[in-house]
Amino acid sequence: MMALRTRLMVALTLVGAGLLATGCATVQPWQRGLLADSCMVFDANNSAAYMTHWQESREGSMGGFGVQGGGCGCK
Amino acid sequence: MIARRLFTLALGTLLAAPVLGAVPKEAPDITLTAVSGKPIRMADLKGHVVLLDFWASWCIPCRRSFPEVDALNRELQPKGLTVIAVNVDEQQKNAYTFLEQYPHTMTVAFDTKGAAAQAFDLQAMPSSMILDRHGRIRFTHEGYTDKTIAQFRSEVLQLMGEAE
Repeated sequence: MMALRTRLMVALTLVGAGLLATGCATVQPWQRGLLADSCMVFDANNSAAYMTHWQESREGSMGGFGVQGGGCGCK
Repeated sequence: MIARRLFTLALGTLLAAPVLGAVPKEAPDITLTAVSGKPIRMADLKGHVVLLDFWASWCIPCRRSFPEVDALNRELQPKGLTVIAVNVDEQQKNAYTFLEQYPHTMTVAFDTKGAAAQAFDLQAMPSSMILDRHGRIRFTHEGYTDKTIAQFRSEVLQLMGEAE
């Protein structure tokens, strides 16, 4: 029967290996064809900005989603 | 007095180091495949000033740079410039679609597996290198701006003016 300490070591090693072996990879500049595809853009048709604007103007809730700008008050 | 001279010497060395240390790097001896299927070996291009332009169909600035590099090819090829537009698309059909949209006269080669891109240590798209007659990488450009073609022309003419 494995000692508690050994089990702990094995568990820590497995967790460490799991963390180190995650699927991190550097995508080289010449491999970015798929990433550059328009379907990879979160909001390709900019509908979220329009929807936010629409919702704010209808509900009088301007600023509820955060306000951009440098403090001039304009948006 | 001696300390002052030593300081001046040290400062001079420090300032000159980047210039003196910029030894041109030999271009990797790779073999590209032209659209026609003909192999293009870098070593065989020695004796020519070469502009290597890495592009891809998905690269937005390449849509501007590609026709302008081709125009530079038409202008300077009679004077001895060799332009090779190296495509790095993983899907060659995308490159062919692009090439149909952009008629060209320069040589286009494929680097589907990215071997040339890796050998030339590409850091951005598009990237271009200008090689002198000895096959050394003398100028490297990353990205594309309104001034890039003028820089290409100036650098190519400078290399053409150098003694063989």
